[in-house]
Formats: sequence, structure tokens, C-alpha cells
Amino acid sequence: MSVVARRAANPRPRGRPSRYLLATVIAGVVLVVMVGNSLLDYVYLDTIPGRTSLYGLIAVALVAVATYIGVRAFDRDPAQRSRHLIRAGVLLGLAALLWLLVSDAFLFAAAAGPGVAIACALACLPTTAFGLFVVRRIDRNEKEPWRLVLVSAAWGAIVATSLVIWGESFWEAVAVRTLVPGPGLDAARAFSAGLLEELGKGTAVLLLFLVMRNEFDDVVDGIVYGAAVGLGFNFMETLTYMTNLYAIFSPEGAGGIAAGFQWYARQVLGLFMGHATYTAFVGAGIGIARQLPSRRKKVVAIVTGFVVAIAAHFSWDAWLSFFPIETSVLGLIEVHLRTIVMTGPFTAGVVALLVLGLRNESVALSEQLRQEAAMDAGAVLPAEVEILANPWRRFRERLRALDRRGVGAYVRLARLQAAQLDLAMERWHRERQEIDAPLEAEDELRGQIRTLRQQAAF
Amino acid sequence: MGTLAVVAADQRDPVVTLYRTLLVYGLIALVILTAGLVEFLHFEPFGQTAGVHAHIAGVYLYDPANEQTSGPNRSTFARGEQFAAVVDWSGLPDNVTVQAVWYDSFGNIVGQVGPGKPSDLNARRIIPAEKPSGLKYHLPGEYIFAVERLEGGQPVAVLARRLIEVERT
Repeated sequence: MSVVARRAANPRPRGRPSRYLLATVIAGVVLVVMVGNSLLDYVYLDTIPGRTSLYGLIAVALVAVATYIGVRAFDRDPAQRSRHLIRAGVLLGLAALLWLLVSDAFLFAAAAGPGVAIACALACLPTTAFGLFVVRRIDRNEKEPWRLVLVSAAWGAIVATSLVIWGESFWEAVAVRTLVPGPGLDAARAFSAGLLEELGKGTAVLLLFLVMRNEFDDVVDGIVYGAAVGLGFNFMETLTYMTNLYAIFSPEGAGGIAAGFQWYARQVLGLFMGHATYTAFVGAGIGIARQLPSRRKKVVAIVTGFVVAIAAHFSWDAWLSFFPIETSVLGLIEVHLRTIVMTGPFTAGVVALLVLGLRNESVALSEQLRQEAAMDAGAVLPAEVEILANPWRRFRERLRALDRRGVGAYVRLARLQAAQLDLAMERWHRERQEIDAPLEAEDELRGQIRTLRQQAAF
Repeated sequence: MGTLAVVAADQRDPVVTLYRTLLVYGLIALVILTAGLVEFLHFEPFGQTAGVHAHIAGVYLYDPANEQTSGPNRSTFARGEQFAAVVDWSGLPDNVTVQAVWYDSFGNIVGQVGPGKPSDLNARRIIPAEKPSGLKYHLPGEYIFAVERLEGGQPVAVLARRLIEVERT
């Protein structure tokens, strides 16, 4: 069996694949659009969001540098890695704080005040963190690294929001001056939100797909990254709506209720059924493209993912007014029903893709683990195959290690299992001829697994 | 035969099932976006702006007690100020049905005159923006005042428009 796998392997020469060039071009376009948007907004509109957009560039630059350092950290030896990670973490923290400061100072400070903005941010942090935790956990076979999940969320919160501010402002300015107010204008606004916001968020997933191919295996990974970007965007959007509505309704004595309702609608009810669902479709399209053989199908899958995300987002924004909410107790039921009816089918669609993807992944990994065990290379033992193929049995083994030798043994076994699944994943990609890494990388991984096995022995 | 073998292998690939599922979603998405486009075109039909324009004399402070405007024409107001638009209906032909509407920053209608023939609306030149029911102040943000032409009871064109900013503080 191993001979078949090796014959099917399609190692590429060392060096940067062409997709890096595409990623560089996309990143360059994003940068130019962002700087251009901000300057135009500031110079010509001179609005408060214009200033936010311009000064927010500093935060965006910090995120970019932090991302670069964070990714580079994993090419370094472990001694240097933690230093680089700390630097990246500090820069990300500064960027987040700066962005909050800028948003607060220029958008809402005068009305809502910095205390309200901080309170709103603190209210949204646990729910968004819970969302990211759940989204990462659903990839039960090979969890994505926290660094990439957090980078995705940071892109959604900071970069994507910056990208769309000017575009949406411009669209809005043109629409309210030219269109008949009412459903037509609502539809135009919904097209703007769906198109611009999904493009802004989806670019992050596309860049991850192009640059971090080793951490982007299939549709499951795409859904995880897409949902993480969506959760980040949802965090910043909730913050904006909460502070804005607080400022609007506080003179009426209802600022807290208005902000609290926004929090519940966006951070509880809509946590997974809003932006997370929309951008998960973008990720699903890119994840499916990752495993398709022809370039034409790859492009079709990616474009389709974006189109589905745009349509899902559009349908919510355009047709929300068809489901009015009464200002009575009945309204509490209606607001839940509205979200379930309007966004539920799309979330169910993402879940269906996720379940299919997880099933494909599990079947493929089981087969690859069996083949690896049959090679007798010492990376996967025959007795380990059934355990590794089952997330629950893996967990039980780790608990057994915890019970016998403590937390250290649990962590070491977890690392061993993760590396073994990495190897199975790499074998799967090689068999499908969808991998850049040379064949020797597999042997290096086997060596690492043997070392981890010695460390994990108990 | 070679092609058939490729197709057969392709069909066995579970990723193809995912791809086809995504394509089905894509078709549904296209239906949704087309419905949105149809809705947009229904409420924003082409070729409805031929020649007729209304004249908005201005937007002024408004006193609800005597139903009169005062002061200069303005484009920004405080949340606590009452304001109203003044429309000159006399320049419009009488064979069109028109209405004048205030939309607040949330898109709600907060003031309206019409629909009717321009001659019927001559007595109602002042159109105030009302505060939302239950609120003490106007919502902040951009208000739209539009004089609209109707066909079949539906607004099809804006004959005149003013954008008013209600300041946050």
C-alpha cells in the first residue's frame, strides 16, 4: 500500500510555489485599497468615520506586522519561538487597544463615552471567545492552531471592517441621493453590505488558503477559518451597534436596554447564525477548492462560496423588514423566530457541509493510519489505529495518561496524537496529489513522531 | 474508455459530493440574488425620471403649536428641535400623483403628506418631521425628505429630495 502512496505522490521542487505570488498581489491590492479608501475618505468627506479609517491604518499595520512575526515564529527553534510569539501578541494587543481607542474617541466618545465602549467590549469578549472555542473544537480530527484562528478573528474585526467603511459609506452616499426611499433603497444597501463585507472578510480566508496551505486541509478547515473571521467581524459590529444605540437612546433613558438588546441579538442569538455562517460559506468554497483537481473547478468552488455568502448576507439585510418585531412580550418570541427562519437554513447548510467534510476526513484518515501502520515505520502502531481514528477514544487515552502521570503526560500524548494525525493528513493529501511539500517531509514527520513517542512513553 | 474511467473515479471522490452540494447552494444563492434584483427593479423602475421636478423651498424650524416655520433654511438640527420642510406644489402638473415623506435615520416614515394631485396638496405646504412615537427626541443621523411621484400606489420616482442631519448631541 505504501508503494501506491509513494507512486501517487507528487512532490514539488523546493522553493516558493506560485500561489505566494498571487497572495502577495492580493495583499498588495488590499493594502492599496485600504490606504486609498482612508485617504479619500479623510480628504474628501472629512467625516468622523474618515478620521477613524485613516488613524485605524496604524492598527491595521500593527496587525500585519504581528501576523508576520507570529507566522515566522514557527519557523524558528522553540527557544526563539516564545520570544517572537510574545512580540506578536504584544503588537496584536496594541492594535486592538488602538482600534478600540480610535473607534471610541472619534465615533462615540462624545456621546456614549469611553466607559460605555469598554463595557460593551468586555461584554462581547466572552461570547466571541466562546464562539471561537466552539468553532475550533468542531474540527475534531486536526484542530487548527490558535494563532491562525485568532489572526482570522483579528482580520475580521480590524482589517475587514476597515476595508468596508469607505466602500459602504460611498455606496450609501450615492444611494440616498439617487434612489427612491423604501424597499428599493433597502435592497441596494443589502447588496452593498453583502458584497463588500463578504469580500472584505473572505479575503482573509483566501490569503490563508494561499499562504498557510499546510494548515488548510479541506472544507472543515475552511469553515473553521471562515467562521472565525465572521466572529471577529461580528465582535466589532456588535461593539459599534451597542455604543451607537446606547448613545441614541440614553437621552430617552433606554440606552442600557438598547445596547443590551443588541448584545443579545448579535452575541447570543446571532453568534453563529450571522457573520460566522456567511463567511463560513466562503471558507467552505475555498476548502472544497483545496481538494479539487482542476483549476477551473477550484475557481468555480471559490466563486460559489463567495456568492452563497453574499446571498445569505443579502437576504438578511434586504428582507429583515418583512419580519417586523412588535414592542411587546410577543416581540421576544418573534425576534428568535426571525433569526431562526431567516438565517437558520443557511446555518443548516454550513452544518451539512461540515458533517460531510468531517465524515470524508475521518474515513480518509482511518485509511491512511491503517496504511501507515502497515508500513511498520514506527510512526503509527497497529494497535493505535482504532484509537487515533476516534476522537472520543483519543480523549480517553489522554485522560488515562493524565490519571497515571499527570498533566505533562496528557500534553505529551496530545502532541503525539496530533503529529500522527498530521502525518495521516499529509499522506491523504499526497495520495490525492494536492500537496506542495516534498516527500522527505513525511519522513521528517515520522522522525518527530518517534521522538514524541519516546517522550510520551508511560 | 479513459474518459469514462476518469469520470467514474471522479464520482467516487467524496470531495465531488461536497462540490456538487456547494453548486446546489450556489444555484439557490443565485435565485436569492435574482429575487433581490427583481425587487430592486420593481421599486426602482428605469425611465421614471422624465422631466418633472418638484421644488422644496427649504427646511426650517417648526412650531407645532401654531403650525408655522421660522428662521433660515437649514440642513442640520439638534435632536430636540422641531423642523419641517416647505414644498412648492405649484410647479407640478396636475396629471401626476405625488406625496412628500420624511424618513428618519432608521428608514421609518416620520411625516407624510399625500398621496394626491399637486393641486389637492396646495393647502399642505408645510410637512413636519415627527418624533418617533414614545420618544422625547428625534433620532440622530441622516433624514431624507422626498417628494415622490406614485404609480399604482407605489413611489416610482423622487421629484425632489433634501438630506437633513440631526446631530447626535
